[in-house]
Amino acid sequence: MAAATSTPFGGGDTGGGGLAAGEMEVEAYRRLFPLAFYERHLRDSVRPDARPLHRARDTSIALGPVAFSDGSALVKIGDTTMLAAIKLEVMTPATDAPDEGSLAIEFYMPPICSPTVRPGRPAEVAPVISKQLSDTIISSQMINLKELSLVSGKASWMAYLDIYCLNADGALFDAALLSAIAAFSHLQIPLVSLNDDGKVITVSEELLEGKPSVELVNKEKRKLSLQRIPFSLTCLLHGKYILADPTAEEESVMETFVTVVLDSLGQLVSIYKPGGAVLAHRSTVKECIRLTKQRIDELKNILAESASAMEVA
Amino acid sequence: MEYVDSLTGFRLDGRRPNDIRQIRAEIGVVAKADGSALFEMGNTKVIAAVYRPTEVQNKGQQINNQALVRCEYSMANFSTRDLQEDQRGTEISLVICQTMEACILVHLMPCSQIDIFVQVLQADGETRSACINAATLTLADACFPMRDIVTSCSAGYLSSTPLLHLNYVEDSARGPDVTVGILAKMDKVTLLQMGSKLPIDIFENVMQLAIEGCKAIAQYIREVLLENTKLLESRKGL
Repeated sequence: MAAATSTPFGGGDTGGGGLAAGEMEVEAYRRLFPLAFYERHLRDSVRPDARPLHRARDTSIALGPVAFSDGSALVKIGDTTMLAAIKLEVMTPATDAPDEGSLAIEFYMPPICSPTVRPGRPAEVAPVISKQLSDTIISSQMINLKELSLVSGKASWMAYLDIYCLNADGALFDAALLSAIAAFSHLQIPLVSLNDDGKVITVSEELLEGKPSVELVNKEKRKLSLQRIPFSLTCLLHGKYILADPTAEEESVMETFVTVVLDSLGQLVSIYKPGGAVLAHRSTVKECIRLTKQRIDELKNILAESASAMEVA
Repeated sequence: MEYVDSLTGFRLDGRRPNDIRQIRAEIGVVAKADGSALFEMGNTKVIAAVYRPTEVQNKGQQINNQALVRCEYSMANFSTRDLQEDQRGTEISLVICQTMEACILVHLMPCSQIDIFVQVLQADGETRSACINAATLTLADACFPMRDIVTSCSAGYLSSTPLLHLNYVEDSARGPDVTVGILAKMDKVTLLQMGSKLPIDIFENVMQLAIEGCKAIAQYIREVLLENTKLLESRKGL
């Protein structure tokens, strides 16, 4: 490695101040001048992992990894990994909504997911994403809360959805949302019946075989009918470039991002652009929406494939 | 309740009293971590990760001639059959921490802190053993200098029979439960915990059973590490 001649590098200047890439090892350049490293790639409309700017990473969904839950899914977008699981509990519905169940959605980032998360320093972004997820799922009206009702005014389901990030490599909200809807699509509501005290109890499938007299409250309604499923795509904005589905490294270098959520009918559910140095013109926002639409087609296929893979197994 | 069927000798999950559970391990599951592993013992699934030694966070705890080992253990809300709050077990964290401290060569990394994170994804008995086994694999994956491999497993005594590897139902029977952690090659016991009453001679049998279970796990872990090394070798073109 040639010794660098002592040319001062202009702060924020592109091209690393005139030092040719051959004079320094690529990895060193990547760490010392990350912005310049990326801009070199962006000029050729490509990213360090050889993706074109508008392509998302390989996505996979596996349904049912958590055996003890009522519905679960493991989603990977590139290296970002999310594990979502739903547990249902019977509770009394609120008096002003006697025919509806309820949802409780939580997002966790345990220290294994990233070297930046330490026991004394929880991830700042975790409660933000938790709230975002909650708002998105409820406002998209994907779940009809009436389907979570058991006995009007007396019993309904409380669905606890917990999403754990097992590996944080960018686009956390996208992966978390996908894992949430995959878990809901996998959800199988347990059979229940009323016992002698008038209380609702869950009935195990195997025990049923010997007792035809057990009256089931919800024999037909085992799966939720998901109506308008929300899908999202996060894009980074840098100058005139739009990068879809960023990795954690890209997110740390270029801080402005937009998350667009569309539902399966193509309607806009939410746009989230929390400040950032880059201002987005209308054309930029429209482009992000168009990219999200493209991504939705991919995600719909992947979700359908994972569901049919479950049936074959 | 009959934990061992008197006619067939099978347990509730179809195993014989001396049968080990199905064990599966995978290394390198968390790409960003310096070392990570997924360890499954029967239905119990645990994921562990470790990052390279860092500066000690709490200066007051810093030890000048060796590294400080810290462990954080937590169970996911959906990990058990009943719902529960995101649990952080202080006692189990300490147990894992002290067990691993016995095997890492801590004097080679003075004034630093080693953080081991363990997350239980599914709990079906023997979570602390699964965590210790996962931690061992994780530390090996991260290439920490270690004295030996630490493996752990549990054994109990129900229906007058010593049973190896208790699952959740057998564990909940509130019978004797012996958890052992050993340094496999050196044949030394680093962790030994037991609750409930047990006559001494039966205890020796149960403990011996657990130690054999640990050795079987150590054998498996060695195979996994060897496989991994061969894979790395072939990737490097050696």
